[in-house]
Amino acid sequence: MSAVALSRPARVLRIEIRRSVVPWSVPLILALFFFDSYRTAAGFPPNWTVHASAITDNLAWDFAPFAAGLGAWVASREGRRNTGDLLATTARPAWARQAAALGATLFWLLLTFLAAVAALYIQVALQATWGGPPLWPVVVGAVQVVTLAVLGFTAGALFPGRFTAPLAAIGAFLLVFIGFHAALNLTPDSSTNALLSPATGLPLEDVGVFYHVAPDVAIAQVMFMGGITVALLGVLVVAPVFRVRGGLSGAVGRAGRPLCAAGVVLLAAGVAASWTAFALTGTAKLGVSGWDIPALHDAASDQPIPYTPDCAGTAFPVCVHPAFSGYLPAAAAALQPVAAELKGLPGAPVRAEEVPAGEGVRAAQGMLLPGMASPGVSGTPPVYHYDGNNGIAPFLGSPAGADNARWRAGFQQELLTEFIAGPPNAGPRPDASVLPPTAAQQAVITALMTVAGSQAQFGEDMTNGHPTAGATPAQIDAAAQRFASLSTAARHAWLAAHLPALRVGEITLAQLP
Amino acid sequence: MNIELSDITRKFGRNTAVDRVTLEAGPGVLGLLGPNGAGKTSLLRMLATILPPSSGQLTLLGRDPRNPADRREIRRRLGYLPQNLGYYPSFTVVEFVEYFALLKEMPPHLVTKAVAAAVEKVDLGSKAKAKLRTLSGGMLRRVGIAQAIVNEPELLLFDEPTAGLDPEQRVAFRALMRDFGQTATVVVSTHLVEDVGAACSEVALMSNGKIVFRGTPAELTVRGETGQGVGDAPLERGYSAILAAARA
Repeated sequence: MSAVALSRPARVLRIEIRRSVVPWSVPLILALFFFDSYRTAAGFPPNWTVHASAITDNLAWDFAPFAAGLGAWVASREGRRNTGDLLATTARPAWARQAAALGATLFWLLLTFLAAVAALYIQVALQATWGGPPLWPVVVGAVQVVTLAVLGFTAGALFPGRFTAPLAAIGAFLLVFIGFHAALNLTPDSSTNALLSPATGLPLEDVGVFYHVAPDVAIAQVMFMGGITVALLGVLVVAPVFRVRGGLSGAVGRAGRPLCAAGVVLLAAGVAASWTAFALTGTAKLGVSGWDIPALHDAASDQPIPYTPDCAGTAFPVCVHPAFSGYLPAAAAALQPVAAELKGLPGAPVRAEEVPAGEGVRAAQGMLLPGMASPGVSGTPPVYHYDGNNGIAPFLGSPAGADNARWRAGFQQELLTEFIAGPPNAGPRPDASVLPPTAAQQAVITALMTVAGSQAQFGEDMTNGHPTAGATPAQIDAAAQRFASLSTAARHAWLAAHLPALRVGEITLAQLP
Repeated sequence: MNIELSDITRKFGRNTAVDRVTLEAGPGVLGLLGPNGAGKTSLLRMLATILPPSSGQLTLLGRDPRNPADRREIRRRLGYLPQNLGYYPSFTVVEFVEYFALLKEMPPHLVTKAVAAAVEKVDLGSKAKAKLRTLSGGMLRRVGIAQAIVNEPELLLFDEPTAGLDPEQRVAFRALMRDFGQTATVVVSTHLVEDVGAACSEVALMSNGKIVFRGTPAELTVRGETGQGVGDAPLERGYSAILAAARA
C-alpha cells in the first residue's frame, strides 16, 4: 500500500512500528522462551491442552517483565526525551499520539507472542496423534500480554522517569508470581477467585482428551484482564486533565468534555467488567474437566468426546486413547509379561483400557463421570482400567520417555497391585477402605515382576500402619525370591488356590511356598 | 491580526513570569528580546498554546485557544521550535518531520511533498534518511526548524532558533524567516541581536515579564545612539539602554 493511501493514524502507527524499541528486545524474549517455555513443553505428553498450559504458565513469565517494562519505556519517552512541549503544540490529542505508540508496542509484543505460540504448537503438532490446537489459552495469554503492556504504559505515562520501566518490569514479574502461586494453591475448599490468574499449574496429562475443557474460566480471565486494560486506557485518557492547573472544572474544559466523558466511561466499564469476572469466579466449582462457572457454563460441553481406542497385542490387548497412540507400543510391551503370569487366574483381566485421569479425585468429590469406568480391574470379563495419572504416571513425559525400565516397572506394578491388593490410591489413608499391599502381597508382586524382568519398588509408606506382621524388607525379598524360583505352573497353581485369601490379606509371608 | 494579547499574565506560584502584556502582531517577523528570566519563553509557550494564561485575553489566528476546537485549529496552523529540542534518536530526519506533519493533521496526500520541501529548505536533503542520533547539534536544530515549518504555518514561533547553527546556516535561516514573514507571523525569541537586526521587521523587548520596548530594529538602534547603552553594535547599545532605563 502506498504511503499516500494510508490515513494519518495509520501512517503515524507505521512510523512507530518501524522505530519501536520492542524489536531490540525480541531476541532476548525468544531466548528466554526457548530455554524456559519451549524446552519445558518438550517434556510434556503429546496433548494439545497440556502443551497449551505452557502458554499461561511459562510464556507469561517470559513475556511479563518485557511487556510491562517496554510499555513503560515507550510511554515515558516524551518525558525522557523532552518532547512534551513540542508535541503539546500539535493538533492531534495526546491520547491519539499515545495510542499509536502503544499500538506499535503491542504489535511487536503480540507478533513475538504469537510466534512463540506457533513454535509451541508446531512442537506438539509433530508429536500429537489426536486433537487440535486449543485457542482459549492463546486468547488468555495474548490478553495477559496486552494487559501487562498497558499497565506498564500507564505507569510510564503517569510517572515518566527513567526508573519507571525497570520498576514496571519487576512489578509485572511479581504480579505473575502472585497469580501463579494463587493458582497452584487452588483447591475446591479455597477461594476460587484464584482462577482469575491465567496460570494453571501442570494439568492432568489427559485434560481435554476425554472431555472438552469448558471455556468458562478462560472467559472470566479475559473479562477480568480485559476490564483492567480498558480501565487503564480510561485512566490514560483522563490523566492529562489532572495535570492541568486551574481547578478540575477548568482542566475539564481545556481537555474537552467529550474526551473526559469517554475516559470516565472507559474507566467505569473496565472496573465493571473486572468486578463481574471477580464475582463470577467466586461461584466456580469443579466440573468434569476442570472448573466450571455456572453462569457461563454450557452443559453440552460436559459430554464425553467420542473416540475409537487404539489397541495392540493379541494375547492381552492393551488399548489407549488415540491421543496417546505414541505410548501404545511401550504400554503393550510392558503389560504382556505380567498379564501372562495372571492369565487364567480367577478375575484376571483379559485386556487393559485407558480411562480418564482424575477419576479418583472426582469420585472423592462425589462427581462420578457417567459411562466411564474407574481405574482398577472391573467388569465382565474383567478389564484393567488404567489412567494417565495413576496407571502410567510417566505419561507426564513424552512418548520417548516411556521407553525405559523404570516406567515399564511402574506400569507393571500398578497392574499387579490393582489385581493382587486392590487399588492402592482409592481413598485417603489411614482410614482407607483399601489398604496398601501386605507383606505377602508385596512378596508376590515382587516375584511376578522379577519373573517379568522388572524390579518392584515399595515405598516405606506402603507398609506404614499396615499389619505386615513385623516383616522386614529383607524377609519380603527372600519370600519373593523363593516364590519367583518356583516353576510357572507351580506359581500359577498356588495363586489359583490362594488368590482370594491373598487378596484379603489372610496369607502371611511364612505361608508363601 | 494573528496575535492579539490583552493584559496577559502568567504566574508560576508566587512568581509572575509574564505581567499584563498587551501585544498585537500581524504578518512579519517579530523579534522577542530580553535577558534571561525576562518571560520570553513563557510568553512563547502561551502563544504556542502549551501554557494557558493565568489571566487576560489571548486570541491566536482569530481564535480563542481556551476552546478545545479552536485550539485544535490553531495548532494545525502553528509551527513551534522550543529552546531545547527533544527528539527521538531512532527516527530518521524524514520520519521525524513526517511524524510532526501528521500530528499537525496535514492532509495525508500533502505530507510527503511537504516533508521533502521542509527538509530541503533547511538544507538537510542529503541527510534525509539519517537517524537523528547521528546528527550534529546544528543539524538537529535544522531538523527542529523543518518540523516547525512543514505545515506552512500562519503562526511560527522560534525559541533561540539559531543557537548551534554555523554562520552560513544562520544567514540562510534568517532568509527563511523573512520568507515566512511575508505571509505569516513569525515570533523569534533570541539573545542574538544581530538576528533581530537582520531578519526582524519589529522588535519587542521584555524585562521582568513586561514589554518595555516595541518598535523596529532601526528605532532600537536609535535608542542606543541616544541613551546610555553599552555594547559593540548599535543594536546591542539600544538593547542595553532600554533595559537600563527599565531597571531604573
